[in-house]
Amino acid sequence: MRIVIAEDNVLLREGLVLLLTGDGHEVAAVAGTGPEVLPALLEHRPDAAILDVRLPPGFRDEGLRAAIQARREIPGLPILVLSQYVEETYAAELLAGGASGVGYLLKDRVSRVGEFLDALQRVASGGTALDPEVVSQLMTTRRDPLQTLTPREREVLGLMAQGLDNATIAATLVITERSVSKHIGAVFAKLDLPPSDSGHRRVLAVLAYLNS
Amino acid sequence: MRPFLKRVADAAVYTATGLRTALPALLGLCLLPLAIVLSLTVVALPWLPQLVRPMRALANAERRRAGRLLGHEIPEPYPVPRGGAVEQALTLLRSPTTWRDAAWMCLHGLTGLFMGILPIALVPGIVFALSLPLWWWAAPPGSQAAFVDLYTWKQALTLPFLQAGVNLIVLLVLVPRFPYWQARLANTLLRPTRRVSLSERVEQLTETRAEALEAHGAELRRIERDLHDGTQAQLVAAALRLGLADRRFDADPEASRTLFLEAREGIEDALAQLRGVIRGIYPPILSDRGLGGAVRALAAAQPVPVTLDLPDDRTRAPAAVEAAAYFVVAEALTNVAKHSGASRAEVAVRRDGARLVITVRDDGRGGADPARGTGLAGIRRRVAALDGATGVDSPAGTGTTLRVELPCGS
Repeated sequence: MRIVIAEDNVLLREGLVLLLTGDGHEVAAVAGTGPEVLPALLEHRPDAAILDVRLPPGFRDEGLRAAIQARREIPGLPILVLSQYVEETYAAELLAGGASGVGYLLKDRVSRVGEFLDALQRVASGGTALDPEVVSQLMTTRRDPLQTLTPREREVLGLMAQGLDNATIAATLVITERSVSKHIGAVFAKLDLPPSDSGHRRVLAVLAYLNS
Repeated sequence: MRPFLKRVADAAVYTATGLRTALPALLGLCLLPLAIVLSLTVVALPWLPQLVRPMRALANAERRRAGRLLGHEIPEPYPVPRGGAVEQALTLLRSPTTWRDAAWMCLHGLTGLFMGILPIALVPGIVFALSLPLWWWAAPPGSQAAFVDLYTWKQALTLPFLQAGVNLIVLLVLVPRFPYWQARLANTLLRPTRRVSLSERVEQLTETRAEALEAHGAELRRIERDLHDGTQAQLVAAALRLGLADRRFDADPEASRTLFLEAREGIEDALAQLRGVIRGIYPPILSDRGLGGAVRALAAAQPVPVTLDLPDDRTRAPAAVEAAAYFVVAEALTNVAKHSGASRAEVAVRRDGARLVITVRDDGRGGADPARGTGLAGIRRRVAALDGATGVDSPAGTGTTLRVELPCGS
């Protein structure tokens, strides 16, 4: 994949480049400040972009704003947003323009290289990758309706909201894929969501529900 | 005509009820010389605070009464007493407030009695004067008079009408102003002098400054402890594991792999703790989005719906004030979610001159007690450290309202 990175910390930037090139990806461009991000994306049209939320010159949420604007200018551009801290509000703003091809993760997750590359791959192919912390924040907001779910169903819902597919959920919870599907069916029935067979559409439905 | 008569009647009622303070004041006026002499003879000095107490109670009653009429409160100027009885007595003798109270007592005792009785006496006075021409000749001199004893018909047909007229003018023109004069007297002598209010303010500021320093110190110690015992210790342990893994790498790659993974977990924990510490110092979303955006994010994360009334973010308050405001809202909303059983909440933040006023209201079960529960106590401490004020209104069954005012210094 051709990837554009926006990250102001040199050490982390070098680390990301090392990690991505080591996995066979190509880093098309690196932006160090907020205003450089959009032109770089427009020029290179990458397969995916990795953006830090806080960038110079303002050190506020330039990366996030750039991500939202870029998705408006290049519809469907897969973007993975990284941050030192996660805010449900930011996730909601990112997801407002459609959840496909969107990722929002804590920077810490980079240390789990395999999972991080999986998440990037998922985002690049139109999937979603949400940090477990964001998901648990979202689930607190909808605390009341989620009371009807069993603990296991809530676990499955949380993992689904992170953007994981049935096989990964099954592996994480150490259960069979069949029982994962069963749990998902129960969750959809209890939350009154329209049933759907495509894994990705189910993720979108769940996120739309949690985000409403 | 009717509202005019009502004004006269209202005024008469006000000054008549003023007798409740005027009569005791008159008594005080009579006892004042005795009290002064006793105090000066040192023997009675320790009892001075007790002697002053009824005078202050009387002055307070008049402060409330006059305050209601003037439409603004007349604050009490009395500082909290300090030291032993003699020290208190000496402070009282030195304090201008004591002498101003005494001066008011003397003036009010005299004028208040006059103003209280006069309007009541004027009406029968007018009736008496107007009836004089009918019966003056039958009464012996000395029991009838209009200005002077009446001896001729010429006097009897002019002087009583003149007197009734004068009485009427006094009743209609002067009496309606009595309440205002009386309240002005109280306001002039009983409100705190500028010096007293300034010295009180200085005292209060000294106190809150000490609290602020104390709170700041506690905060620094807490941050130091969190970083030292938490984050730093975690990182040391992770570094140790990496060192061990390095030593064993050739001999036992599998064991060193376990160590690597443990080190990574340790670092992840350290990062999570560090995020917590940073959030406690200054929530990052405040610098990203300002107070409005941060409060909006807080509200969005609540399990109960929250209505917001926020100012625009162009006028930013100092960072310390915004951080305190954010914590107040966060803590209050946590309380709402945890304890109130409310179905909805309201958060209002607005600039009122040089103050930031925060109101958090819910429709829960109320009965929140600031003395118990660390949430409210924490809010109070944090607000007091910035010289702000906290008010909690939480009647059982009708929800809780928290109101916090923070000075913004601009």
